[in-house]
Amino acid sequence: MAGFLDELEPLKAAALAEFKAAPDLAGLEQVRVSFLGSHGRFTALLKQLGSLPKEEKPAAGKAVNSVKLELESALSSRRSELELQAALPKEPSDFTLPGRRRGLGKLHPLTSVTEDIVRSFRKIGFVVADGPEVEDEYHCFDALNTPADHPARDAQDTFYLSQPGDGRQGSLLRTHTSSVQIRVMEKQQPPVRIIVPGRVYRRDNADATHNPTFHQVEGLYVDRNVTVGDLKGTVEFVFKELMGAETRIRFRPHYFSYTEPSFEIDFSSALTRKMGKEWLEIAGCGMVHPKVFENVGYDPEVWTGWAFGFGIERIAMIRYGINDIRLFYENDVRFLKQF
Amino acid sequence: MKVTLNWLKQYVDFDWSPEVLSERLTMLGIEVEGMSKIGGEFEGIVVAQVITRDKHPNADKLSLCRVNDGKGERQIVCGAQNFKAGDKVALILPGASLPARPGAEPFTIKVGRIRGVESQGMMCSPQELGLPDHVDGLLILREDAIPGQPFAEYLGRSGADVVYDLEITPNRPDLNSVIGIAREIAAVTGNPLRLPEVTTPDDKTSGRAVADLVSVRIEDVELCPRYTARLVEGVKIAPAPDWMRSLLEKVGVRSINNVVDVTNYVMLESGQPLHAFDYHLLKAAEGKSHPTIVVRRAREGERFITLDGQERALSPQMLLIADESRPVALGGVMGGQNSEINLNTVDVLIESAYFNPSNIRATSKKLDLRTESSYRFERGADIGLCEWASRRAAQLILQTAGGTLAAGVVDAYPQPAEPRQITLRPTKVKDLLGIELSSDQIEEYLSRLEIKAASRKPRPVGAESPASEPGTFRVPSFRVDLKREVDLIEEVARLYGVDRIPSTEPRGAIGANPFDSVHDQYAQVRANLVGLGLFEAQGQTLISDAAASLLSNQGPVLLGNPLSSDMNVLRPSLLPGLLDSLRHNVSRKNYDVGLFELGRVFNHVKGGETAASPTGSSLVTAVTEQRNLAIALTGQRAPVFWAGPERDAKFDIYDLKGMLEEFLEQFGVRGVVFAAASQPDSFFLESGVLQLGKFELGHFGQLSPLIAKRYDLRDAVFLAELNLDTLMARRNVTKSFRALAAFPPIRRDIAMLLPEGTTHEAVLQTIKQAKPANLESVELFDVFRGKNVAAGLKSMAYAFTYRSPERTLTDAEVNTAHEKVVEQLKQKLNAVVRDS
Repeated sequence: MAGFLDELEPLKAAALAEFKAAPDLAGLEQVRVSFLGSHGRFTALLKQLGSLPKEEKPAAGKAVNSVKLELESALSSRRSELELQAALPKEPSDFTLPGRRRGLGKLHPLTSVTEDIVRSFRKIGFVVADGPEVEDEYHCFDALNTPADHPARDAQDTFYLSQPGDGRQGSLLRTHTSSVQIRVMEKQQPPVRIIVPGRVYRRDNADATHNPTFHQVEGLYVDRNVTVGDLKGTVEFVFKELMGAETRIRFRPHYFSYTEPSFEIDFSSALTRKMGKEWLEIAGCGMVHPKVFENVGYDPEVWTGWAFGFGIERIAMIRYGINDIRLFYENDVRFLKQF
Repeated sequence: MKVTLNWLKQYVDFDWSPEVLSERLTMLGIEVEGMSKIGGEFEGIVVAQVITRDKHPNADKLSLCRVNDGKGERQIVCGAQNFKAGDKVALILPGASLPARPGAEPFTIKVGRIRGVESQGMMCSPQELGLPDHVDGLLILREDAIPGQPFAEYLGRSGADVVYDLEITPNRPDLNSVIGIAREIAAVTGNPLRLPEVTTPDDKTSGRAVADLVSVRIEDVELCPRYTARLVEGVKIAPAPDWMRSLLEKVGVRSINNVVDVTNYVMLESGQPLHAFDYHLLKAAEGKSHPTIVVRRAREGERFITLDGQERALSPQMLLIADESRPVALGGVMGGQNSEINLNTVDVLIESAYFNPSNIRATSKKLDLRTESSYRFERGADIGLCEWASRRAAQLILQTAGGTLAAGVVDAYPQPAEPRQITLRPTKVKDLLGIELSSDQIEEYLSRLEIKAASRKPRPVGAESPASEPGTFRVPSFRVDLKREVDLIEEVARLYGVDRIPSTEPRGAIGANPFDSVHDQYAQVRANLVGLGLFEAQGQTLISDAAASLLSNQGPVLLGNPLSSDMNVLRPSLLPGLLDSLRHNVSRKNYDVGLFELGRVFNHVKGGETAASPTGSSLVTAVTEQRNLAIALTGQRAPVFWAGPERDAKFDIYDLKGMLEEFLEQFGVRGVVFAAASQPDSFFLESGVLQLGKFELGHFGQLSPLIAKRYDLRDAVFLAELNLDTLMARRNVTKSFRALAAFPPIRRDIAMLLPEGTTHEAVLQTIKQAKPANLESVELFDVFRGKNVAAGLKSMAYAFTYRSPERTLTDAEVNTAHEKVVEQLKQKLNAVVRDS
């Protein structure tokens, strides 16, 4: 008995030392086999257990079992260590190397601005509307109280489509989104609350501030008892949402043939001051002209309403400090990536 | 329209600084586009009168004076000896500088003490003023000098002034005049408008009556409702006086001679365009003692040489001023060479008339001839002003060119216009502006603009102010823009001040528009494509016909009045615009580009229905607008990376197809079939179509290198364009949950050799027709050509996944099903299954 137990301790120490010394998983496996395998040294010792006197068996069995557990546990933890060691890359990763990126694209800045505008309006119950870009004179001008010889028609230089056949000049590219006011009111009874983002066209040669194609947003609200006060309140709300809470707004009397009274809207913020200006013109607006209501069959004695419109490029240019409108249409990826 | 600060001050008092005036005009709706200060000569130097002159208490050679500078008294210490009390002198005020001598710093005067006594300015010698006169002592001014008058003005030189460039909205022709602007200022300040007194002294009036010297016959009253003529005899044509020339120059009008300058001056002052004829160049009819002005339409084919020397071909729609034998002016637009004022002119006929705005506009447009006169007439002149303006011109001609005025005026005005009357309800003011104003307040605001109440019921004594009683107002003839109630309400708003109208919170309301959901769908498309790594582009709607014809031989929609041949048609496709954007990027060395665009394209539809021709007349080719989605790829597939076999890989057709597949699935469009295009296409090197049932969704492919070369694109370019309207209509966004598979799958792979011509789609169809039991999915995982694969063949490897939702499958039953598929592939496609 004494001889048996005397052998146990040194065997354990030898096994533990060899586990620790094993350089890799294969080496460890060899060590395991040499001790715990069917012909292993520990297994051999275990086999001697049966030859011990009966009264010594319990104590010896207990001691052997405890060593066995200890060895298995040491083996397992050494195996985990070596597994981790094997999984590690040969050289540690350089975490300053650039990652492998899956690039997302970007929305066009005009889209982002339009979405922001639309979102503000939707918060206060507006729906998005649109109409054709190829319009007729009636919806673009006449119905908006701008008859053929009206001087205001001069200010809007219009693209006309060439019409083969009878040669009449009927179709044009809409010069403003206001034509959609008419199309919506023709189809719908008040109350009306729409926001109309869209492309419009003016016969301007392209330069830093002009492009024959550009975008506008139009808002129209018709209901009972809609006043200039409502117009101001809504415009203030939307521009604060769009340009920041510290934005100030002012209205100046102006002239548009389809609104009366008409105003231009100036805004003032850190952005305008950065541009060296206290006030910057940003939009036109007014109370819908009774003639326009009559043209769509609304009774101006019952309904009042306001409309306003502004250029999306202009807002984007101010917001991001873009100095040339043509950049929007070149689609240079170095430009598009910035927004 | 340009005006100057000093000119305005002649008609109305206000003590605003130049900046405040600019601000006030802006807030009245008269936008100030430019403001420039003209530093006049002798700034800060005024005429002053010496009141007392005493000896300086502390210096023998100095005197201590009290002078009147026009605003009050000042104490001045002076060393000169040549003046006495009562003399008028040039006084420079503290803060102003004496004119600099060449090479010297200007000398600025301050309030200072001279020998212990304060001196508030300095009286000047001619030398100090830089004037040529040599006097020992002060410059003593003429008796008619007015204390306080700017010295420059006394000398007849231009003083300091501020020139405003105003943007006048087309509805307010009355503001195209200094008096018109002054009237607005008067309305805001409440100060009276001072119109110049227009009287002619008796000694300047000749005994002859103008009616005996000229007649007027209006043949077309509609085009010329009023025509007045006056005659100034015996003038001397010469340059206009300095003050008038310098004023005209400041507002950008070239000076010609005294008479012509007067007509321009009065037009700028009052807004009424005038014309001056040399009376002797108007021919009387035979047997008549004097000429007759005939206002008539031009005759077919009539020709006429206008003042600018151009011969004009006229048409009967145009209005002429003529004598009995020939035209002498193109009415309201431009005078004629044959009757203009010249150095020999002695007698001047002044025309002051009113012409029909639409007609002037049409004539001016047709002849492409725009003048200050046509500009004003086409917007609407003041028919009530003709006679006054003519009188004003006569007065100034007499002043500047001498002569005598023939008595009276010939005023052909067959149907005098009645002033327009408009009724205004205070309740409507509240409805529109949201503010409560009493009738009295409204009347007060309007009367400041010379819009006077026409009638008002007498109010019982002691009755409360009738806050809501409608009033009727008479519109002055210069306000052609005021036509209905709402126009008056705008005037009330302007004078009340829109900044004072309180804002009200946005109110809730309901409404719907079919486009609302389109807008959201656009946003979803964009989000998906941005997620796929594409950048959103915005292209020009207007492109060249050459670019449009790359894609389609159907004629594009042409513009009737294009700006240039680069932009003469509406885009029939988004692709030419995207090619432009690729070219732009590549030329700037952005070689790796992935773009998408959502936008409308335009095409003809014969006899279709559009906005522009709702009747769908077969004569008119209708235009359809369609929403499209397009993608363009070129260059490298992935962002730069520093390792890996695929790091330099360029986009290929399967990148594009993969994006389309991913997008279509995300967007909810299922069952799209991709197939090779049935017809070869010069635009694409290779292309395919997307088919959804009977709808063709669009096409995609690799751009022909011949076209790529034209766009300077060196890497392969892949393009796709889909009809977004159809996609939006056909998408299915209904989603429902399917239970997750609970039993294990069993996989079987096949690698087989197939003839090159056999498509993946053919393989899938064959598998589908074999109907193997429990086949869950088939995935292609390798296509190989080359080693161990004979020419004309390709190796394709597929993974088959079998799974039952109800139980665990056995190998045996899967093998049976799979054998069936393999058999079919061998039979139908001549597949040679390889051992793997």
